[in-house]
Amino acid sequence: MNKGTGVGTGPTAAAAAAATQKQKSMMQRVETDIANIVDNFTQLVNVARVNEPPVRNSQETFMMEMRAARMVQAADSLLKLVSELKQTAIFSGFASLNDHVEQRTNEFNQQAEKTDRMLARIGEEAAASLKELECHYYSSAQRTADTE
Amino acid sequence: MDGNLEISLDKLPVKRLDAIEENGAERYPPDSSYDEKRVSLIRRIDFAWAVEDDEERERKKKQKKSSKDASATWQWQSMVENLQLAHQELSVIIDLINTVEANDAVTVAGLTRPKPLPNEVLSDLAVSAATKLQCYRQLGKYFKQSSNSFEEQIAREARFYGALIRLQQNWKVKRQRVAAASSSNEGFTIDLFDNSLYDSAAMCRPSSLSTIRVEHDSAGMLAINLPPNSCRSLHFGFLGVHSSDIPKDLSKIRTHDSVEQRTRESEKESKSDDDYVKETHTLLREVHQSIFDDQVFEMLNREAFKQSVGVNVTGIRENYLQLSIGQGNTLFISLVPSNKGDNQDSADTQNLESAIVPLQSFDTEKKWGFPNRTSCEIYLQQIVHENAFVNEKDKPNLSSTQASGQSGKDEPGLLGHFCLSLAHRIFSNRVLMELENVVCRVPYLHLMTHPTWHSRTSSWTIFMKVPQSILHAESQSLKSDFQNLKDAIKSQFRTKVVVNDDRINVEGEGAPNVVGLFKRSSENTCSVNKYECDLADLPVIILLQVASQVICWLHEEALTVGIKTNRDFLCLTFELEQGETVSLVAHVNPEDIKGGISWWLVMEDGFAEDWKLQMDMHDGASEYRKFLGHLTLDVLYSSLMDLVSLCGGGRNH
Repeated sequence: MNKGTGVGTGPTAAAAAAATQKQKSMMQRVETDIANIVDNFTQLVNVARVNEPPVRNSQETFMMEMRAARMVQAADSLLKLVSELKQTAIFSGFASLNDHVEQRTNEFNQQAEKTDRMLARIGEEAAASLKELECHYYSSAQRTADTE
Repeated sequence: MDGNLEISLDKLPVKRLDAIEENGAERYPPDSSYDEKRVSLIRRIDFAWAVEDDEERERKKKQKKSSKDASATWQWQSMVENLQLAHQELSVIIDLINTVEANDAVTVAGLTRPKPLPNEVLSDLAVSAATKLQCYRQLGKYFKQSSNSFEEQIAREARFYGALIRLQQNWKVKRQRVAAASSSNEGFTIDLFDNSLYDSAAMCRPSSLSTIRVEHDSAGMLAINLPPNSCRSLHFGFLGVHSSDIPKDLSKIRTHDSVEQRTRESEKESKSDDDYVKETHTLLREVHQSIFDDQVFEMLNREAFKQSVGVNVTGIRENYLQLSIGQGNTLFISLVPSNKGDNQDSADTQNLESAIVPLQSFDTEKKWGFPNRTSCEIYLQQIVHENAFVNEKDKPNLSSTQASGQSGKDEPGLLGHFCLSLAHRIFSNRVLMELENVVCRVPYLHLMTHPTWHSRTSSWTIFMKVPQSILHAESQSLKSDFQNLKDAIKSQFRTKVVVNDDRINVEGEGAPNVVGLFKRSSENTCSVNKYECDLADLPVIILLQVASQVICWLHEEALTVGIKTNRDFLCLTFELEQGETVSLVAHVNPEDIKGGISWWLVMEDGFAEDWKLQMDMHDGASEYRKFLGHLTLDVLYSSLMDLVSLCGGGRNH
């Protein structure tokens, strides 16, 4: 992540500290969610033992459903974290964004220059062709008067 | 019941002191609740009488039976008694259970299950296992469903963010942290406002289009929805010239439209994401261009309100500006919605232009010399862009113009420069037509165009190549180049025509230098002269110039062969013996279809002072005119040689 290299290279120390803090909190969330998933899954598997009278079955069923729901919720939370990271990557990858913008600017400038040169060349060629054609035309024996 | 009545005594329901503590507090027994009271009452029920009754009955029966059959039923007697006892106990228990079921203040204190038999154990296990298995299967389905929806969500997000990242490579994407984010909008916007304006104080109002929201469409992909007719484009035209092709051009150039975008969503499965992103890029680019056109129009409006050279506003309406550029030409610049509503557009533009019969636009342009409409639009946009949108240090040099608003009254601003350029273009086309007319009629003239690469200056040169002098053809090859330059007779005469804005300057050799004539030197008898003229007079001026150049050349040739001639503006006079003169006179007529310059031979009797008196006589004896016609230069040269031989009879070279 870009943020990992943000310490000390950010614009201000406060921003760098905030970035580190945010990174920590994100990692914390990741840990929590994954622990949640693993824990609930373990419990689910543990409940699989069949040795009790039927009275406990409904209790276990409810518990299983609850743990499954928690797992799904944790997975959803992880997904949200991932999309947050994607958003952050889009909007905070300044180094790469700036590079890219500069690159595009250079490309466009080059294209503009190329177009200008091409236009100038076209103009010169057109002028040369015009000169030649005029010369030929007015030297030829087939000049016709302009009929008006 | 019989016999003795048994009586039990209860304690009086009085609270009796249990104990007194040292500190004087009295302790009473705790109050028993209603339930406890009932329970205690029930406990006190003595079932002994029922049991005794039953026992007595049984004894009696036994006595009876034993009296009847004392020896036979003895071994079954105990079993019967046991059964009866069990029956009694069971009935008691059943009553108790019924009471318990009715929740009647008796609860079960404990229950001991009987030890289950093996098959019962196994069947219980089987039921539990089956139930659990069922649970797990349902859980499995739940997990699968969740994973499917997660995958869909991931795929949707991947498409969305992928497209957004690709858009971000070309456009500025901003995010607003919306607190209560609805599911369809996470607050992304694309900012199209261009803040690289040179004169930012002039245009600091962003248009309503400059911030575009990025939304999700029904398939989760990003979508950009624009209100219809929100994009406007700059439209330029000459009044009365182009009336029929406007809506078609617009509909060809700008084909994208928000409604079309939405209807295309249904075909999106057949289009890849790449195509979709490209279309979105195109749409954004159109909006960007529309914003630029808006800014251009605003700047032009602002300029139109200032008095400056070249700007002559003849009409203003909303999104419409009409300017007169002189010589009866009027142009208009307007902002029109760039997409749907072709019918509306054509109606509007028909209203905007005056009711002139629509002409074929292509031929009309050629006929009247109007420049191409699209190229004018592009030129206008380009000069605005270069002057207002570029940093100061990068600003290119527009000669004879300055930045908008800063110029003095005699310097045109951008709009003024544009109008003057167009006026010049139209005018120079007319000048070119006139020049071509002249040149086409005179066979020894060549026209050459000199591109000036300046929008308000045009330049042409009319060449006249004269045949080389025969006498000098051999000698020139022997002499050095320097000598050649010095002594060579001119082989080319040039007339330069320069048009600046609407002023025509003609510069050419040919008119005699008066001072040179007095000195009778052979050098510099032909000088360069410059003058301005109108378009109507241009053909005449050119022809006069050319004719004088021919005369000049003939004069030089005559001098070369040693004959002295007198040169007037359009007349070359040879002196014969006895005072007679022969003149070669050029006659210029621009209306002449066969050729602009015709030649006359005029012979006069000596006495110059008399010829005025004889002017009345048309074909008087002392004057003789012969019309020679439209001669080529070779023929003229040979005529000259004939005249030379005629008048040089006694003279030597």
